[in-house]
Amino acid sequence: MAAPEVHHLFHNPIADHSFSTDRKTLAIARDTTVELYGKVGSAFKLKDELKGHDKVVTSVDIAPNSGRIVSCSQDRNALVWEPSPTGYKPTLVLLRINRAANFVRWSPSEDKFAVGSGDRLIAVCYFEEENDWWVSKHLKKPIRSTITSVAWHPNSVLLAAGSTDAHARVFSSFIKGTDTRPEPSVWGERLPFNTVCGEYLNNSAGWVHSVAFSPSGDALAFAAHDSSITVVYPSGPDQPPKAVISINTQLLPFVSLIWNGEAEIIAAGYDCEAFRFKGGLNGWALSGTLESKARPGLGDTREESALNKFRQMDLKGKAKDDTQLKTIHQNTITTLRPYETSGSSVKKFSSSGVDGRIVIWHT
Amino acid sequence: MSIIQQHTQASLSDAWRTINIDALQEDSCVNFDTSTLHPPLPEISDAEVRQLTNQVRQLLRGGDAEGALRGTLESPVYNGRDEAKEAHLQTVIEVLQSIKASDMTPMLQRIYASPGGSECLDVLMKYLYKGMATTSAGSGAPAVPRTPTRVTPQQTGFSQMSGRPGVSSESTGAAMSVLLSWHEKVVDVAGMGCITRCMTDWRKV
Repeated sequence: MAAPEVHHLFHNPIADHSFSTDRKTLAIARDTTVELYGKVGSAFKLKDELKGHDKVVTSVDIAPNSGRIVSCSQDRNALVWEPSPTGYKPTLVLLRINRAANFVRWSPSEDKFAVGSGDRLIAVCYFEEENDWWVSKHLKKPIRSTITSVAWHPNSVLLAAGSTDAHARVFSSFIKGTDTRPEPSVWGERLPFNTVCGEYLNNSAGWVHSVAFSPSGDALAFAAHDSSITVVYPSGPDQPPKAVISINTQLLPFVSLIWNGEAEIIAAGYDCEAFRFKGGLNGWALSGTLESKARPGLGDTREESALNKFRQMDLKGKAKDDTQLKTIHQNTITTLRPYETSGSSVKKFSSSGVDGRIVIWHT
Repeated sequence: MSIIQQHTQASLSDAWRTINIDALQEDSCVNFDTSTLHPPLPEISDAEVRQLTNQVRQLLRGGDAEGALRGTLESPVYNGRDEAKEAHLQTVIEVLQSIKASDMTPMLQRIYASPGGSECLDVLMKYLYKGMATTSAGSGAPAVPRTPTRVTPQQTGFSQMSGRPGVSSESTGAAMSVLLSWHEKVVDVAGMGCITRCMTDWRKV
């Protein structure tokens, strides 16, 4: 396995990151701005700063085809940044929420985006041609607490959301005029706006950090604060799911997860490293870390001279410098995203975290 | 609930918001019962707890400490009267105290590897924390629910190790050291995930 590509951008937390389709532009949510980095040689250099929010930017997403960027912030607004020859032009989207916006993602069709917020609702936003204006519609019931993350089904109608009320839910966000009627699936056939297609809770009910549909859209995975991931296989509308599989781990909780094909999930979080889960309808299991622990240059077994050792003990009160974690990320990983895919499998994925690093991993 | 929040001199300093706007919103979290978010748990009566205690004692007398431990952990009292919960805690501690230090890790590993074992150790962790929060542990006397006025501000294991009038500090310390060594062993086997589950779980013992 090739070594991961590490880019240490700065010493601030990265709330979210997103690559453009050609992987030459990288958008980073840093404090109150969205920073755009361009690839120069093998490094990323700051290219542009999108200033428009006046509180912390919590999430950013680049639409793969149109190149439009959407960002949302604790100032309760979302901005759509339209690329133009003279730079990015912001358009304010009125979300009509009175708590922070936490998470935003474009739908695969790129006609809509969904914003999860602390106002116990999800704002589904779409562009209304006649008014030349982004309109938001609220998914409200039966959400009881802050929405921490959302994920789109490949059909751009179904939307999964994780919440601090410990539930992962699947909603329909069907917008007349914008969406075409989706094919019937395991989640349901008739799907008017705000249909709740599924509501899931695991045993110990930690709040949900991350949700993701499998590539086919027929399974849902979520990571919760009880250090578990749960995979749900629905069987059909108004029927109990075929299987709900929870894997409790010995690790700290996962904050973000992605699917790699239908039989693998990669999750990362407070342990500062990414882990692989493998399984299927009959069960899932943790198969190991993606970090190769025996990386050269980590200085684990480096010989120390006696003089040096005693000098260290005298200066620092200890012989070994143990201020570095043995993982590549030196703090919590907050976002995982597919970087290079072929079909439904992920060849490379990127991670960003509180330590200001972007790391591109081979699966 | 009053809409105007009560303030003392101390809390006024940063009280830029004196109206509790959450109370005004109909669908706000202060206006609904959070217990409705979870499926209800079966209620366990005092008699069932007593029956289980007897079964566990029998297993202990028969030398099957592992069976006794599993028995107590597989039927935690999540929903029941405080007395029932307290009685079950005493049973768990009794079992824990009867197990030799050298047997702890192999026993935990066997339980963890068995089906449903991870859940069992989560329950054990909950009882360890509950045990550390209660000083009457190990005294053998019927548990007396302590009034909040007698609780030291920092209700940690260490503040209670220092001893307190009215409680035999020696037996408390002994019980605490048992709980602490179990805690260490459980973390070794079930990892940090066990502690986070203990903190997030809404099913309290």
